[in-house]
Amino acid sequence: MSHLNTFQQLLYYYDHNGMYVLQQFLRHFLISIYGVLFAAIIGIPIGIFIARNHKLGNFVISIANVIQTIPSLALLSIIMIVMGLGVNTVIMTVFLYSLLPIIKNTYTGMRNVNANIIDSGRGMGMTNWQILYMVRLPLSLSIIMAGIRNALVLAIGITAIGAFVGAGGLGDIIIRGTNATNGGALILAGALPTALMSIITDLLLNLIEKWLQPTGMKKEA
Amino acid sequence: MKKNLRRWLVAFAILMMAIVTSSCSLPGLGSAQGSNGSIRIASLNTTESQVLSNIVSELISHETNYNTAIVNNLGSAPLMHQALIRGDADIQAASYSGTELTTTLDLPPTKNAQKATDIVRKAVRDRYDQTDFPSYGFTNTFAFMVTQKTAKKYDLNDVSDLRKVANKFTIGVDSNWMNRKGDGYKDFTRYYNMDFAKAYPMQIGLVYSALASDKMDVVLGYSTDGRVDSYHLKQLKDNKHFFPPYQASMIVNNSLLREHPDLKPLLHRLDGKINVHTMRKLNYQVDDQLLEPQVVAKKFLEENNYFRGDK
Repeated sequence: MSHLNTFQQLLYYYDHNGMYVLQQFLRHFLISIYGVLFAAIIGIPIGIFIARNHKLGNFVISIANVIQTIPSLALLSIIMIVMGLGVNTVIMTVFLYSLLPIIKNTYTGMRNVNANIIDSGRGMGMTNWQILYMVRLPLSLSIIMAGIRNALVLAIGITAIGAFVGAGGLGDIIIRGTNATNGGALILAGALPTALMSIITDLLLNLIEKWLQPTGMKKEA
Repeated sequence: MKKNLRRWLVAFAILMMAIVTSSCSLPGLGSAQGSNGSIRIASLNTTESQVLSNIVSELISHETNYNTAIVNNLGSAPLMHQALIRGDADIQAASYSGTELTTTLDLPPTKNAQKATDIVRKAVRDRYDQTDFPSYGFTNTFAFMVTQKTAKKYDLNDVSDLRKVANKFTIGVDSNWMNRKGDGYKDFTRYYNMDFAKAYPMQIGLVYSALASDKMDVVLGYSTDGRVDSYHLKQLKDNKHFFPPYQASMIVNNSLLREHPDLKPLLHRLDGKINVHTMRKLNYQVDDQLLEPQVVAKKFLEENNYFRGDK
């Protein structure tokens, strides 16, 4: 294959291993999505809850901060000791990393809702629950979604490292490239779809965010 | 307010439980984590190990209804062994008798191939309740290689033939091997009583092309590397048995074989089916032809009709 240049090798690779790359792409995507999804299920309620209690809020966010400072490879290894090899270890790591952006953004979003609006809601006789889902959540939605988008882009990068604990995904192709004598094309073959995935998911979430935005807040064109 | 708090706590508890239970098998990834019937195969980060793992995986998933998954990119033989013991994997597709003997089993090395296999087979059965299958039919060991031209010119067949030309030969070797104790360069020169004009440590992948382009007179490479055949290199016989034998076989947890009795005859189909030339060809397709181990393994099994034995 040395008679081909890197770009030709890349095309040749995709031509002959297309199915495999697709499988790994899907797998990579699912691992990232699951981790972020769980983090959102846990993180958003935590964020809403701590927004009412400033002291607790600082405490929880500093814990999430500490998790974030651990290098991803180290966190992956620590979790591997407990959970063993395989895909669940990576999902757990992604989950932990996604907590901070999601909790923090939810917290900030909740606290930044204009107090006057909440007051008027209360004046209309809304219950706490109604204020939450009719006033606070819609108004902070864009900030929460920004947190999830951040988390997902981060997660796709972490999942690539997950290949080291045998989880599979596009990281497998990259690692094979680093081990091969002439692996430039292989590294690209794994790295390009990973980058592409980040860009696509970011765009998709942007669309979802727009779609979820309450009609009253949409800017008139 | 207090009532509200309790409601939150209940909601949390339910969510937590949902996560714990669902994380056992997530849709789309279910085959990756075991205990729900999927068979996991541990693989090293080497080409050969990945090809063999994919062959085993493809054989099982094609011939039975079991799901398979490969726990890929493990760094070393002891790590794979650990994965099998812990239950993170069920099958170790590539195990080399010499490596198992000295690293995972921590036993003294032996130069006799049959003896090494016997010791490993008995030890893994007694100590770890595992089955060491019969060899695939090839050994992957360090081997000295020269070009056909050099071999003809100096009439080289065995490693000891090198002695008469060693003082004017340059040799290219794996940089790890250079300083290794036990079976490294120093021990080799003492064992065969020869010294080369100059020894160049380099990355193992480079030695073949260095030899083929006449930059080196003799190199030490892996016997199953695909480039041995593609460059038509002459492999010298280790006639004094300096290198320990590295018979390739698979090791399987007996718990898996007991749970799925039909796997045993299926896995025995691979016994002695892959000789050194076949392995070289498969390695070559991955290393040089840019094919994925999975693609190579599938093609190999299809060509051989999954070794069903009824052509």
